[in-house]
Amino acid sequence: MRNLAKRVIFQTLNDKRSVALILIAPLLILTLVYFLLGDSDYVPTVVLDDNAPEQLVDAFKDETLEVEQATFDDPKAYIEDNEHVDAVFEMNQEGTTITLREPSTKSSKAVGEIQDALTTLNPAAEIDTSFVYGEEGQSTFDSFGFVFLSLFSFFFVFILSAMALVKERSGGTLERLLMTPIKRGQVILGYTLGYGTFAVVQSIFIVLYSIYVLGLSSLGNMAWVMLTMLLMAGTAVLFGATISVFARSELQVVQMIPFTIIPQVFFSGLIPLDLIPYGLGNLSYVMPIYYGATAIKEVMIYGSGFSGIWMYLLGLILYAGVLYLLNMRALEKYRGH
Amino acid sequence: MNIQLQHVEKSFGDQLAIDNIDFTIPSGEICCLLGPSGSGKTTLIRLMIGALAPDKGSVHIGETKMPNMDMLQQIGFMPQNDGLYEDLSAEANLAFFGSIYKLGKKALQDRITEVLNLVDLANDRHKLVRNFSGGMKKRLSLAIAILHKPDVLFLDEPTVGIDPILRRQIWDQFQVIRREGTTIIVSTHVMDEVLECDRAALVYNGRLIAYDHVQDLLDQTENGRVEELFLIAGKEEVGDHA
Repeated sequence: MRNLAKRVIFQTLNDKRSVALILIAPLLILTLVYFLLGDSDYVPTVVLDDNAPEQLVDAFKDETLEVEQATFDDPKAYIEDNEHVDAVFEMNQEGTTITLREPSTKSSKAVGEIQDALTTLNPAAEIDTSFVYGEEGQSTFDSFGFVFLSLFSFFFVFILSAMALVKERSGGTLERLLMTPIKRGQVILGYTLGYGTFAVVQSIFIVLYSIYVLGLSSLGNMAWVMLTMLLMAGTAVLFGATISVFARSELQVVQMIPFTIIPQVFFSGLIPLDLIPYGLGNLSYVMPIYYGATAIKEVMIYGSGFSGIWMYLLGLILYAGVLYLLNMRALEKYRGH
Repeated sequence: MNIQLQHVEKSFGDQLAIDNIDFTIPSGEICCLLGPSGSGKTTLIRLMIGALAPDKGSVHIGETKMPNMDMLQQIGFMPQNDGLYEDLSAEANLAFFGSIYKLGKKALQDRITEVLNLVDLANDRHKLVRNFSGGMKKRLSLAIAILHKPDVLFLDEPTVGIDPILRRQIWDQFQVIRREGTTIIVSTHVMDEVLECDRAALVYNGRLIAYDHVQDLLDQTENGRVEELFLIAGKEEVGDHA
């Protein structure tokens, strides 16, 4: 088993693209996600009527807004004609109206800033918001960082192991290996250990990079996050091996990603499971990413320790156990006994 | 070690792949499994190695009934599509397979050098296999199959896609291995290769249509060409269906 693991490690090290896939790709994408979901410095442009009271204009100017004043009959037409304008604000006898370009994060930001401006004019209407976990104004990256840690620890190891094992099946090395006195269990554990070694390095890379370079915050101990990521990566090796049974080529592994990986992305915590209609959220229980992502969320967002995540870790171990048995079964066809 | 097949049958779904095959390959001989593509040669090899269990009948290697895990220690196998780790060197491929057979470290190193010399790859031992030519890969594949000095060696279409000069070299290597007492079973669809063997088993549509010493088989033909035996079998089959 150790020899097989050693062989997998040396073989992967000789394939520079695989090394890049497992060690560099997650950091690259994590960085992109950081910038895409991190704090935005966008300042929305809001237009007020020329006759708007000075007090109102000043309140708007105190917020993170570009404030312009203009004369217009139809606010919608005005926004259509002026591409840089995000919102038009009107206040008269009939009430208050905000006209926005389209439902988007830019519009949400404009509305938020306008509400803040109005609150300063009428302090009695101010609502104090506080959170039990996390804080107001934390970036989307901080809120969803756990999803990406779990996704990456699963996805890249899955790709690597599924592709490598398909190659072993089609290239005849698996057949040859099973015509030696090696035991089937040793084969599966050897592969898990071999690719698992890369998963250990990958997890260390991802966690250190997220905390020290990207400044991802966590309430709990990151050691539990790493343990979860390792269990996920082990499950991912076995998941990849299982998928490789149904693929004849690397292309077919790629063709299976929409059926195997993409649904898991949606059940990883990106969307709260109780918001998913028709009880479809329950589908998450058959997806390994659910167990890993939930455990990582417990640690990072709620500050849980082992007592708060052991059942999810157990879920991952049981999942890996089932995949191990499936792989044992799949290898049977190479041996008539 | 001899190999005995007794009334072996194997089906895949409704498809009868091996139909009541019964013959014995004596120890220390080269036996050719000859037949067109899809005739059942690879299935027959897989049954003999124990990669498949027969539905009916039995396969024995020596006294051992197959499939048998312990017997794999004494079997060498060269698959049709090389079965090499392309991202490892020739030496690393050999070292990995050698480690499974639990050859001691020193003994394994010596044996690796020995087999690399035999297949003429000693100077390429540190090269990655992905940089090898097709012929070099075949020779390395053979080196892995004989690394642990097996008593029985199975070679599945070892010369397919190989140029005539290299084919000659590979057959010379088979003869060297045979002289060491190894029983060799070679599947091929190249009729000329039958002349290299002691015996030949002609397989057609999953049935054994002839099995004998090569010379005795050739004596049964008008022009001394093996193809004639298949043509005769083909005509008989048409006659059976008529």
